[in-house]
Amino acid sequence: MTQNGFCDSRPLLDLHKKTEERRAPLRAWANTRGPKERRSLAESEESRGAHCKTTPESRWARRMPVSAEDGIIMGYAEQNGSKDGREEEALLQCLHGLPGTYSWDIFSDMLRTQSHYTFPSTELPSPFTDSTRAIMVDWLIQVHVMFNFSEETLYLTVHLLNRAMRQIKVSINNLQLLGIVCLFLAGKKEECLLPEISELCYLMDNNYSKRQLLRMERRVLCELDFELSHCPPLHFLLLTASIAHCSDKMVWMARYLLELSLLENQCVVFQPVQLARAALCLARVVLQEAHSPESETAWCIATSLHICSEPTLQRIMHILAVTASTAHARETRASFVKFSTAKTLHISSHPGLQSAPHLLGPGGAQARPQAREGALKGMRAGETGQYMRTHT
Amino acid sequence: MAQDAAVQYEPVAEIGGGAYGTVYKARDRQSGQFVALKSVRVQTDQDGLPLSTVREVALLKRLEQFDHPNVVKLMDVCATLRTDHETKVTLVFEHVDQDLKTYLDKAPSPGLPASQIQDLMQQLMCGLAFLHSNCIIHRDLKPENILVTSRGQVKLADFGLARIYSCHMALTPVVVTLWYRAPEVLLQSTYATPVDIWSTGCIFAEMFRRKPLFCGESEVDQLGKIFEVIGLPTEEDWPTDVTLSQRNFSPFSNRPITDFVPEISHQGADLLLEMLTFDPLRRISALNALDHLYFQEG
Repeated sequence: MTQNGFCDSRPLLDLHKKTEERRAPLRAWANTRGPKERRSLAESEESRGAHCKTTPESRWARRMPVSAEDGIIMGYAEQNGSKDGREEEALLQCLHGLPGTYSWDIFSDMLRTQSHYTFPSTELPSPFTDSTRAIMVDWLIQVHVMFNFSEETLYLTVHLLNRAMRQIKVSINNLQLLGIVCLFLAGKKEECLLPEISELCYLMDNNYSKRQLLRMERRVLCELDFELSHCPPLHFLLLTASIAHCSDKMVWMARYLLELSLLENQCVVFQPVQLARAALCLARVVLQEAHSPESETAWCIATSLHICSEPTLQRIMHILAVTASTAHARETRASFVKFSTAKTLHISSHPGLQSAPHLLGPGGAQARPQAREGALKGMRAGETGQYMRTHT
Repeated sequence: MAQDAAVQYEPVAEIGGGAYGTVYKARDRQSGQFVALKSVRVQTDQDGLPLSTVREVALLKRLEQFDHPNVVKLMDVCATLRTDHETKVTLVFEHVDQDLKTYLDKAPSPGLPASQIQDLMQQLMCGLAFLHSNCIIHRDLKPENILVTSRGQVKLADFGLARIYSCHMALTPVVVTLWYRAPEVLLQSTYATPVDIWSTGCIFAEMFRRKPLFCGESEVDQLGKIFEVIGLPTEEDWPTDVTLSQRNFSPFSNRPITDFVPEISHQGADLLLEMLTFDPLRRISALNALDHLYFQEG
């Protein structure tokens, strides 16, 4: 990519002033990428689709029935006060049956390690505020789109930023440098093609030298102790969505809502699996799609693992709903623009989002478990499995 | 954490001039604990720290979360800028006093009891299975980098560093021992996790023999010594992507492994042969080796 290629559409960051016109249309940036693109959103969506399409027979035969090795999930469920084991059993069967030898191990490892990736409090060291952080993340989302990085890279970037902002003392003038270094390091961890450092400096209006950037890179690596692993909530989202047979529209909506959670500093205290679940639940409420008894059952199975209390889930859904309802009018609207394209089914402009906070009432919170009971009535776990087998 | 390893760790002794540079025993000034310091200099060109270094150190850090008993603990990583073009990355590992080589040397005659060999092997395999399931190939397993604590606990060291070191290695004229190299490595064919199983097989035999099984002086000599024991592989088994032809070697037929490792039990010999299988695809995996009847012997 030449510098001129995105000269006119370079996302600018201004942490001090609020200027509306600094945001150029995102689609223009995407167009500056040549054909050598790696993963586009569409492709990752395809691969997700491929993930759902599984060979019908072998996936059920592979693993033994639920046994002692499932201690983690079962323990996890028990510890969190789940009463009904039936749906969990069906979920376990789904996971055991997922394609690839390691699905089960990976999922249990994700559950086990995800608490590493949450923060004890939402507090940010001064002079940073929730809003400076949001502006920073928004700018990083724009740069991320421009480089056409994978979604995992974005989630890792923001996770590194969250840690770095808390651990490394930088002035507000150097926050942008810190942010781009987080993106650069996330890219080094996840991507095959990396931008040149001069490109990164150019994106920051050459406010910082290459040398400063490299020094910051070393500093971030040392202070973060070279720990660059992450458990992106997106993985939980896609896994749940594939088990629940969610529609494309629903998945895009949930992905959009989940990405909005990156802008909210309040969300850093929640576990990745909780954020993913909240995004999916809210997407369901907003879209109000018609559900067959089969899809209802699949949804119940996919969401059967008890991950947090209902009030916690409602709280996250509420945060996301408020963010989503005002996203179009906000200053930080990179995700709104990103998810307004045809490829993403214009999901961020869905009319339902405007009234999302009103859709969540105390009534809604109680209706859910009842609906779930109804859908599973008279259906034993074995039959549930039968259903899953014939419909995948 | 520390930006400068020299400040936090006080070198006590040089403990090895390994292939990858000097390893120091040092004392953590804060805790008084002994640690092993391994430094590597990486070229930091215009792209900053190389991608491979960032990824591999991150992977080693990730492994720490599992706290596996049979791999050496990585306690800290420091990166210090030396010049504009060179960064020194220091890996701080827990320090274990003895390696398997000294452990074997110290064992009183007639060598380690069979039960102890079995225990060491089981731990070795556990550590290896753990590394392999995390997509890490050791590539240079030998008694020198298998550590044994005073309580007989086995800890694998020096894994996952091969690529971090590779740029450095080209610059150091060091002699790397060939004795534990798998045939596919010696033949410069493609290789994967089975290379570690081969090395472990050689070490298994050495625990009984108290001297190495194959002591070659060059790649070809090493292969010749291997075929003296396991027999010359057939033309069909010979890898196709190598320059060295099967016909360059004398047509040895295999001899009973007990000729070379007399004290080994029947099941032990069976496992050893599974590990010293020429074809890497048919060589036993670490996970399957752990299920081998040898480990159930009382």
